[in-house]
This record gives sequence, C-alpha cells and structure tokens, in this order.
Amino acid sequence: MTGETPGTGVVGEFRSAGEMVSALRALREGGYRSLDSFSPHPVREVEEVLAPPRPTFPRWVLAAGVAGAAIAYCVQWYANAWDYPLNVGGRPLYALPVWIPSMLAVGIAFAIAAAFAGLCRGAGLPALWHPAFEVEGFESASADRYWVVVGSDDSRYHPLHTAEALRREGALRVVPIRRDG
Amino acid sequence: MTALQGRDAPTRSLAPRGSGGGGELAHRFVAHVARPAPPGWWVAVGVCLAGTLLLLGTLAYSVAVGVGTWGNNIPVAWALAILHFVWWGHAGGVISTGLFLMEKPWRSGIARLAEALGVISMANALIFPLLHMGRPWFFYWLIPYPSSLEVWPQFRSSLTWDVISLMAMLFASLALLFLGLIPDFATLRDHAPGTLRKRVYGALSLGWKGSGRDWQRYRITYGLVAALVLTLGILVQSVASLDFSSTLLPGWHATSFPPGFVVRGVYSGFAVLLVLTLAVRRWYRASDVLTERHLEGMARALLVLAWALAYVVLIEAFVGWYTGNQYSRYLYLVARPAGPYSLLFWAFVVLTLLTPQLLWSRRLRSDRRVLLLTALAAAAGLWLDRFIIVITSQSRGFLPSAWASYAPSWVEAGIFVGTLGLFGLLFLLFLRVVPFAPVHELQMLRHQGERRERR
Repeated sequence: MTGETPGTGVVGEFRSAGEMVSALRALREGGYRSLDSFSPHPVREVEEVLAPPRPTFPRWVLAAGVAGAAIAYCVQWYANAWDYPLNVGGRPLYALPVWIPSMLAVGIAFAIAAAFAGLCRGAGLPALWHPAFEVEGFESASADRYWVVVGSDDSRYHPLHTAEALRREGALRVVPIRRDG
Repeated sequence: MTALQGRDAPTRSLAPRGSGGGGELAHRFVAHVARPAPPGWWVAVGVCLAGTLLLLGTLAYSVAVGVGTWGNNIPVAWALAILHFVWWGHAGGVISTGLFLMEKPWRSGIARLAEALGVISMANALIFPLLHMGRPWFFYWLIPYPSSLEVWPQFRSSLTWDVISLMAMLFASLALLFLGLIPDFATLRDHAPGTLRKRVYGALSLGWKGSGRDWQRYRITYGLVAALVLTLGILVQSVASLDFSSTLLPGWHATSFPPGFVVRGVYSGFAVLLVLTLAVRRWYRASDVLTERHLEGMARALLVLAWALAYVVLIEAFVGWYTGNQYSRYLYLVARPAGPYSLLFWAFVVLTLLTPQLLWSRRLRSDRRVLLLTALAAAAGLWLDRFIIVITSQSRGFLPSAWASYAPSWVEAGIFVGTLGLFGLLFLLFLRVVPFAPVHELQMLRHQGERRERR
C-alpha cells in the first residue's frame, strides 16, 4: 500500500468490518497491492493486513517544537537582554530558567500545528472531493458500511476479474470509480 | 480510543448497546444535531442568554466606571477577578488526554464533553486577566511587538508566562477538539439533512474520507496531540499558580503551589464534567453511551482527587508550620482556620474533602443524585478554596496595621453569575451543532466488543 488512496479503480461495499478485512486479506494474498479501505472508524486489522509504511511526520513535529522553543528564546533574549535590558530585583539578564515556561508553551503550540499539518498533508486534506464520493450510497462509509477500493494502477487489476473477486468476498455492491469524474 | 493504542477494549459493557450496529449510533447522533431543538433547550438558552447579558452589562460597567466598582482595596488588591480566572481554568483538556494516555476505555463517552468543557471554561477564564488589568484596552501591550513605547513585556514574570501559555493552551484545546471532530463532521456531512448543513460540515470535515491510510495517520496525530496537550495543560496550571507562589506573601510563597493547582484544576474539571455528563445523559436518554461504568469511573476519580487535594492541603499546612516562620505559622494555623474567613475555610473542607467520602459506598456511588450533589459541592468548595488562598494571604499579611477585610461588590457577583450564563449558553450551542461524544470512537468500541465476543 503505497502512494495515495486509489482514485481510479473499483470500490466494493461490505456489511461489516470483519468481511472488509477478510476481503482485503484475500486480495493481498492474490497479489494486489494498490488497496485501501473506507470505514466510519479506525479498524486496526486493516493496518496489519495492508502494512502501510509508517508515516515520518512525527520527526517534523519534534523539529517544529524545537523551532518554536528556539523562536521563543530568541524573542525573549532580544527583548529582555539585548534591546532593553532592565535590572529587575537583581535577576540576571540572560535568564534561561525563567524563559523556559514560555519556550515550552510556544514549542508545544508549534508542535501541535505541525502534527495537524502532517495529518492534512498525508491525508491530502483539505480535499473536499474524492472520486469515491461520486458513488451512489458511499455516505454509508461514514455510518455503518465498510468499503474496499482497488486501484487500477495495480499490476493485477482487471476491471471484470477484480470486481468478481470483490463479489466473491461478499461485497454487497461493486462500483467503478474514476479520478477525472 | 484504546484501539489507537493497539489494545482491545476490556469489556463489552462499554460498547454502546443497540441492535442496529454502528450505523444506528451514527444516525442517532446525527439526529441529535439535525432534529429541531426541544422546547426545554430554548428555555435553558433563554436563561443563559439573560446571564450573558448580565455579564456584558457588568463588564461594560466595570470598564466604563473603573475597578473601583469592585470590592478590591489595599491590601486585598487581587480578589474575585483572579479567583475566577483560576476557578474557570477547569482542566478539561488534561482530563480528556490524561484518560486517553492511560488507555481508560470509558474515556470515549466523555472525551468530547471534557474537551468542550476545557475550551468553553477557558473562554470564560480569559475574560478575567483582560478585565482585571484595569485598562483592558491596552491588553496588546502584553504581546511582544515593536511598540513606539520602546519597551517590551517582562518575560521574567509569571504574569507574562500566563499570557503566553494561555494563548498556547487556547490554540491547543481548540486543535484537540477539532481533531476529534473531523471524522464526526464527515458523518454529519454525509447524513445531516439540508444543503447548508452539508456545506458547512463538509468544509469543517476538510473532506475526510475515512480511508485506512488516513485513519492510521489520524491515530498517530491524535496520540501526539494528546501528549502535547496534556503537557501544556499541566504547564498552564503550574504557571497560573506561579503568579502566587513567586511572591513573598505567607500562604502563597510555597513550592507546593504548581502541583497543588494542577490537582485543584483537574479536580474541579472532573466535578464540572460529572455534572455535565449527568445532564447530557438525562437529556439525551443516553445511558447506553454514558453508562454506569462511566459514572463509576468518574466517581472514583473524584474520590481519588479529593484525597490528592487533602494531601496537598495538609502538606501546605505542615510545611507552613515546619518553616518556623512566624508569619507563615500565623497564616496557616490561625488566619485560615480561625480568622475572618474561617467559615469559608471549614465550608471548603466539608464540601471538597469530606463530601466526596460518601463515594466510598458503592450504593451511594450508583445513586445519581448523590453524584450530582457531590460534584456540585466539590466545584463550589473549590471556589471557596480559591477564595481562601487568594484573599486570606492578602488580608492577613506581614504587618497587622495593614490588615483589612474584603467583601465582593454586587458588580463582581454579577460578573460571576454572568460567566455561568455564558458557559451554559456556549455549552448548549455546542450540543446543538456537534455530537456530544466522538461517534467514531464509540463505533470502534462496539466493533472491538463484537470481535471479542466472536473469539
């Protein structure tokens, strides 16, 4: 499972998460690789079956946190130790310990923003349209049905045989989708 | 969200019951939002709107006429405004993320209520630091911008840390709430009636499609954000306490303040959360989503926190005596228990430390009236606790010739009642626009429960 969620291919609707997972397993054992699922809640078994590469954005979250803390340090140093140094109660001008709370707060805020950006970038959000939305009845994917998508870029993909494979696994419906409409 | 941690939900009893499966849950929560509001909602909104208007009126009066309309004097220069700032800082985000990271499965039912509580009470809390500046229209001086005054904020002061950490916490709490809402916005986009609703929820959902890849990223993001928000929440409560403990007044100058304030914040947060949970459970007849197990967990948390606070109070008093400092000894051993506000002190002890002891009894724990009364008592008692902390140290300071009493004015009382109204208004609006619990988490609990049963 590499790249984005396939936008051209076939989707199949399943009644339960278990059926969806066994369908994915069967497809993967049959050699398909361009697979994904749609579900109203996270289904942990999907990750076990499809084994997607682990996202790398958490390191950027850490980097953003450190950058935020560094920015906060620089602002405080410039304001209180360089531009207008004030002797306040004999406290040192270069006072890293008292600057740490602000550094932590700003760093955490930057990290949270980076985590959000990582999610959006990886999931392609905001992307108000996906080819699967064109499928009649696809809104069940956010309520009570579980869908599987097989991309046409897969080497084993065949419009008829893939659809037949999905039906064999218990798909209620199998519908083709196309990225350009 | 235990599946996010890779562990099965340990009990089926937490999974929402019902014969229709997960879809029934989704449609039910969509109906909560989509169907017209019952008359009771309008009545409640009317009452809260009146409170909000009272708030606006008293705020305008305070700003227009000045802080002299309050009961503040010298030496009690810091009174109800700072008290309300601290009291309204209910640690909703800390509760939600703390339970998540402890992998408590009963977190899912109350997660969104806790997060909304955090955001709304922070909105209330933020009124007070702005207001009690006296000239709130100059609030922007607190932000480090290159000003023509050629001065900068004093970053060595905990008051400035307050400004920065609160802004960060506001952003973080909103981010956490929004993150949890994205999949639910998608459900509403797909199932709520009306074009306007679909457009608005569609935009808010950012186009969430629920693919397996997206859920994996979501799971990782949520875990990261939860850990960050928990850290920041503890930092914010600690920084607020440092406003007091970095001064020299007896009764304030204690290193036990940061953990003490974290305990108090989480305690008052749980108390108010329990009240909201009981209310929502009743209004939506949601005893299958907010189950006995949830109430049991929250009641136990309340009891644990009552003991944590008792420990904090005793340690503070002991150390106050142990220092040998005469001012500190006087404050902890005479001024608080036997001084002008001793009635409030003992009321605090009874309401906050003794009343939750009722929850030792299983029979009383399962009585929802006892739970409601205990939670309200704890919240009120913690208000009194803040009063004792803020007021007694100032009114019984170092020099007896400088001692004075403090009594709140009607304007301050009006502001507080008004903030209660604002809280109610925002909470009622929140209930109308989004599901009160994260639907995707509840569906996951049900899925996990079914998997365990099939094994």
